[in-house]
Amino acid sequence: MIAVWAGNYFAPAGWGTAQIGTLALVVFLAGCALVFVSWHFQRQQSQANRHLEVLARLTPQDLFADIPAVVLPPLPPKHPQAAAIASVKEVLAAHLRRIQDLEHARAALEVRCRRAVAQCEQIKAIFSYLAEPILAVDDYNELLLANRSAEELFGFESAKVEDRALARVVQCQRLVDLLAGTASRKTPGSRTEELEITDAQGRKRWYRATAVKLAAGDGGEQRGMGAAQGAVAVLRDIGDHKALQKRNAEFVSAVSHEMKTPLAGIKAYVELLADGEAEDRATQEEFLQLISGQADRLQRLVENLLNIARIEAGVVNVNKQPRSLNEILEEALRLVRPSAEAKNIQLVSELSPMYLGVLADRDMLLQAALNLLSNAVKYTPEGGKVILRSQTDGHQIRFEVQDTGVGLSEEDCQRVFEKFYRVKKDRDMAPGTGLGLPLAKHIVEDVHGGTITVESKLGEGSTFAVILPRAGQSL
Amino acid sequence: MADNPQTHYLPTTTCYNDNDLTGDANMAKRVLLCDDEVHILRAAEFKLKKAGYDVQTAADGLEAWEAIQQQKPHVLITDCQMPRMDGLELVRRLRSAPATADLPVIMLTAKGFELSTEQLAEQWGVKVVMAKPFSPRELLQQVEHLVGRSIGSEQPRAAPV
Repeated sequence: MIAVWAGNYFAPAGWGTAQIGTLALVVFLAGCALVFVSWHFQRQQSQANRHLEVLARLTPQDLFADIPAVVLPPLPPKHPQAAAIASVKEVLAAHLRRIQDLEHARAALEVRCRRAVAQCEQIKAIFSYLAEPILAVDDYNELLLANRSAEELFGFESAKVEDRALARVVQCQRLVDLLAGTASRKTPGSRTEELEITDAQGRKRWYRATAVKLAAGDGGEQRGMGAAQGAVAVLRDIGDHKALQKRNAEFVSAVSHEMKTPLAGIKAYVELLADGEAEDRATQEEFLQLISGQADRLQRLVENLLNIARIEAGVVNVNKQPRSLNEILEEALRLVRPSAEAKNIQLVSELSPMYLGVLADRDMLLQAALNLLSNAVKYTPEGGKVILRSQTDGHQIRFEVQDTGVGLSEEDCQRVFEKFYRVKKDRDMAPGTGLGLPLAKHIVEDVHGGTITVESKLGEGSTFAVILPRAGQSL
Repeated sequence: MADNPQTHYLPTTTCYNDNDLTGDANMAKRVLLCDDEVHILRAAEFKLKKAGYDVQTAADGLEAWEAIQQQKPHVLITDCQMPRMDGLELVRRLRSAPATADLPVIMLTAKGFELSTEQLAEQWGVKVVMAKPFSPRELLQQVEHLVGRSIGSEQPRAAPV
């Protein structure tokens, strides 16, 4: 209408109504287009603004939830700000990805860190409670680290040590030198030394010390933490090993002594006979008897040694049959009687009048009984008494050897069945290899399923008791 | 016994014992044998007796010590490991008594590396250490050397250090 009015008003003269109408339409259309265009620009602007506003308001949480893609429809591709907004969004997205990556990395690191701390704690606990004393020193041979065991051995407290020079903490110059020497070496590799260390209580103990160089280049993580250069030593208690070595040496010495004594007799009499020293028949006969006796003795010793070795190695042929225990014990008594009489020791037999059936390897059980009896005779002074008893005890059979000998201390009672163990104070009282009682124990316990025990009082005598299962009547 | 012992008797320093009859040409030299093994005693005793020595025996160090107090022998032959008193203790005791400080001792032992011959010689004056098994013949020779007497063709030699 306005266009029509305006057409009427402004139209040049001479225009007809039709012309004016056309013009008005054109003007109207142009107006519409103008309005549309401005509306369109405004809409685009507000779309862009909304994008920017949303982007501006975004919180980190929204970023992770990828909200812009949800709440904002994409801008039409021809939108004049589309490129700018898209590049902002791309930058944001790139940052977002980076933040996400960092966040993942951080979480992973946190887990690793926690694990590392836990591991470190575990290692510290293990280190501190390790039975082996461990000491670490730096380049200047000053104490870096010591575990509980090392502290106890040398009698110090790591936390309280002020002068950390190892030589002042540890009273063992050879260990100090070993660590210093290892720390100053150019090449890795361990060094080992056997040391006798006097502990905080003044006892001497043997240790095998293994020292290795601590190098700063051991792994990148350590380098960052200013890891030490120096050396660490682990001490292994070899007291038992040393004691065993000593006992083995003593055993070899005892065995050779025991073997040489009968051998000496054999060789001496052979020489006397060969030299024709024994002129009469009776002397020759006597010498031959002595040779034979000593040869038997040597044989018994060798058999004892082999028996114990065989039983220990588990390669014995056991021939168990129902036997009369009393018969075996009587035989043992008969065998030991000469040595008892030589020492004027009264050998008393108190065997049960009943038949005591045992499932036994006769030779082995005889050996065990003989060892107990000859042991009693050996360690009973002249004029003493050795009693052999047997009796039933329910389903079990018991025999015991009681003597009026030198007796055993409590410690000796516990150790007397150990191989090669010989009671020190009585060692020179009689020759022996320290094998008789261990062999008897093996025979009774491992082969016959019985038990062997000792009760004793120093100076009053000992009683060795053997308990064996009773063989069933049906056997 | 047929040869003349007069030229070979022990140095006078060992002869101040009243019981010592070394100077008597007709007396056999006394040897004390000490061992806890009867068969060893018997073998050594037999050999030495046949060679004309007056042999006494003892079953352990204490018995030997007591025997020596009764009558000093010219030579002591002793084992090392014995009950009651061992050979080393016996020698220690002998050396601390003036009368037996220089009694010649032969140690006859089955011990091995745990005995130091040098220490026995230097510290305890044990002139001869013989290992078991031993030869009775050699034992006799050692006794001969120590008492400074020879039999048969053997020449007297200076006593070993």
